[in-house]
Parts: sequence; structure tokens; C-alpha cells
Amino acid sequence: MDWIRKNDKLISVVAVLVVTVLVWEVLCWYFEARDFILPAPSRIIMEWAEAPGYFLKHAGYTLMTTLVGFALAVVLGVAMAVGIVHSVFLDRTLYTLLVALNSVPKVALAPLFVIWMGTGSEPKIAIALMIAIFSIVIDTVLGLRSADSDMINMARAARASKLQILMKIRFPMALASMFAGMKVGISFALIGAIVGEFVAGETGLGHVILLSQGMFDTPRAFVAIVILGIMGTLLFYMVEVAERILLPWHVSQRSAHTH
Amino acid sequence: MSRENSYVSIRDVGKVYPSPHGEVTALEDINLDIHNHEFVSLLGPSGCGKSTLLKCLAGLEKATKGEILIQDQPVVGPPDDMGVVFQRDILLDWRNILDNVLLITEFRRLDRSKYEDKARALLGRFGLQGFENRHPWELSGGMRQRASICRALLDDPELLLMDEPFGALDAMTRDDLNLELARLWQDTQKTVLFITHSIPEAVFLSDRVVVMSRNPGRIDEVLQVDLPRPRHLSVRESPEFGAYVSHLRQRFAQLGIVHGD
Repeated sequence: MDWIRKNDKLISVVAVLVVTVLVWEVLCWYFEARDFILPAPSRIIMEWAEAPGYFLKHAGYTLMTTLVGFALAVVLGVAMAVGIVHSVFLDRTLYTLLVALNSVPKVALAPLFVIWMGTGSEPKIAIALMIAIFSIVIDTVLGLRSADSDMINMARAARASKLQILMKIRFPMALASMFAGMKVGISFALIGAIVGEFVAGETGLGHVILLSQGMFDTPRAFVAIVILGIMGTLLFYMVEVAERILLPWHVSQRSAHTH
Repeated sequence: MSRENSYVSIRDVGKVYPSPHGEVTALEDINLDIHNHEFVSLLGPSGCGKSTLLKCLAGLEKATKGEILIQDQPVVGPPDDMGVVFQRDILLDWRNILDNVLLITEFRRLDRSKYEDKARALLGRFGLQGFENRHPWELSGGMRQRASICRALLDDPELLLMDEPFGALDAMTRDDLNLELARLWQDTQKTVLFITHSIPEAVFLSDRVVVMSRNPGRIDEVLQVDLPRPRHLSVRESPEFGAYVSHLRQRFAQLGIVHGD
């Protein structure tokens, strides 16, 4: 009983997934759905088991593209945010431009990246980066700006330099907001990578889905989709675990430590 | 009040803020000398500019008129030999108490190892031994404010500025901290400028109480408090103490300031 109470969230998630899969299986069997319309879960698992190496290779490629795009988005995004917060000029120019660009559906720009960068992994990384960076920049700017003015005064009275205030006060205070941006960003990076693979190239799960569609091989497309679902979930939790490690003091995390 | 032995000298200071409805005068014609080792309170209602005056003295804001001298040097930025305690403890939540107290060693690039024993001793003095490795959010409001006083005292500054440091605490914790601060002053003889809107607190702690009125913020009266030192909380029951308090109450009533204490 105790174990159940402690893990009630995990148990309910697993239960919902298991029931969904079972209902799906039963419905496919009952209506005799054909594989190319909607394959049953058992069929999808068989498809996966037939060529695990094939899926691993393509998943690895998509994962690599996503992670590189995301990492670049974090580095560039945070650097831009620091510049925007510290310079009126960058605020008026770069930030205004970013906010304006953010309203363009960025997926629409994907084909252009193929023209500019070819069909290798560069355009995919670039698209992942472009889609992920907005939320990171905007949330980091917000976080850096919302630093407690009393705290800044305290540091100034203790004769802290601007750089020290940035590193020791503004950054730690902005972390919660930055992580909110990164959680959105990591999911967006995966979308960007898939869009990049849709547009051009011969590798990645996006390419697998496109290829399966051409051959009406729906079970194979579903394997790729399932892998993407697992990957997206794991990537999101990776950011969340990093947040828990880096922000043990934050209000949203605190309960686990005080009890 | 000769200029020679004043540690802080505030001369004709005025502060005007621009606002959408024209200029707002926060401070006007402020003249005040604070002597070495003196405990001076600024007493007044909110909006009388007492915090603004403290910020100007701390070098966080610039006065628009007049000048402020500390040991005959004009204040242009935060002075070296100064500690500030604010109304909120503003400890950094991501550092433990010891690291919070040692914060200025990082800002001023001081050798941390030389200050660590001092920080522990200060925390011990304020009853926080054993809490060095705790985080601010694990401590009560009174303990947090004690830690922030330790932080301000780490480098043993000659001048201590306190901006309503006990305003957010409950009455009992406040009594406790008043007593600890009185003892600290007795032992270290620091020059203190203390801001408060509590009349008894100002009388209990101070050598002089500076009464401020608002709109614009001006000095209305400077009251010398000649109660014997060291003072204990029982001094508050003495008739002399009562006389000072009632004098100040009447002054605020004459100024038309409704004073809820």
C-alpha cells in the first residue's frame, strides 16, 4: 500500500498507457483494420523487432541533430539574452527583430535552409536551432530582467562589479525562467530536426516516416512515431532532471528537500 | 556638532525625482552630522524620504542638491567601510548561510579562508551556530535577518546603515533583535544610521533621534536621548523613556501625521 501511495503518479501514467494500447489492439482486431490504415500495437512491435539496427541508426541521427541544435540554441540564446539585457541598442534592434521573427511560422523557412546549406546535417541542426532559440532567448531575457532590485542594491552597496552582479545574482535568479524556456526549446528542437529531415536528406526518423508513406508501409512509420514519442519524453525529462540538480532551492522544487 | 568629529556630514541635501505628473521632491534641505561611534535613528512615516536619504548616503542614488561627506570625502559610489542591512533580509536562496555571510569576500576579492572563522564567530554571536550549512528558506524570519546583519558586519565596517531592518518581524523577535543590536553597538561602538517608523524602537536604540516629516521630506526635530547605557529592555518601563516616547508622539500628532505604531 505504501509503495502504491508513493508512486501513484507513475502508476497512473503506466496504467493509462497500458489501457490505451490494449484498447487499440482490441479495436484493430475487432474491426479487422488493415495494416496500412492503422496497424495494431503488436504489429508495430513486430516491425520494430525485425530491424532494430535500422531504427537505432535513424533514431541516433535524429537525436544527434536535436541535441546539437538545442545545445547551440542554449549557448547562442543565453549570450543574446545577456547582450539584450545589458545594451539598449541590442534591446531595440536584436530583441525587436527576434520578437517580430517569432511570429513567422518558422517551419515555412525550412526549405530555404536546404538551398543555403545543402542536404547534410547542417540545415537540420540549423532548423532545430532556429525553432528552439526563441523561447530560450525570450525566457532568459525575462528572467534576467526580473532580478530583485533590492538584491541588486545589496550587491552594489557591497561594491560588486556589473559582471559579478550578472554571474552571482542575475544568473542564479534567472535560472528558473531559463529552464522554462529550455523545456519548451528541447521539444521545439526535436520538431525542427524532423522538419529538416522531411525537407531533404536520407537519414533520420523524419526521413523514415516520409519513405514509409511513399511505400504505404504504415507500421514502419508508426515505429518511427513511437520512438519519437519516447525520445521527446526522455529529452524533456533530461532538462527537468538538470533543473532539479541545479535549482534545489527553488520554490517549485523545495518540498522534496524540506520534508 | 563641530564638523571635525563628525563621521558623516550631510549638507543641504535635496532629492527630486522626475515623474509623469511633474517633479516630486523626496528630500529638501537635509542637514545632519553623525559623529563617530554615534547611534542615530531616522524616524518618520512612510514617504518621508528616509530610505532615499539612506540610499544617497550608501552611494546607491545621487542627491540632486547638496553633498554628503564621509570622513570629509564626498560620496560618489558605495563607500568602502560601510555595511548595509535592508528591510528584507535578501539572502541568496541558492547559498547556505555561511556562503551568504561570506558573499562580500567574493565581490571584493578577499581571501575567503581569512574570513571564514570571523563569519562563524559572527553567526555564533547572533545565535546561529549550527545553521552555517542550512539554506535561508529553512530558517525563520528572525534568523534570516540575523544572518543578513552578520553579512553586513563581516568586514567590520565603521559605518552601519540599517533600513527598517526589523520592520517585517513579529514583536517578540523584534525585541530580541533590538537588544542584540544594542549589545553589538555597546561592544563595537560602530557609527550607526538606523531607519525606523517605531518610536519606542528609535528611543531604545539611539543617541539621537531625527524626526522627519513628509511632503517634502525634511528634518523636523533632532532629539537627544540621554538614557543610561548599556540599556536593557526594562528601560522601556522607566518614566524617562516614557517621556521621550510621548514627546515624539505629540510631535507627530502636531505634524498631522496619523501614526499607527
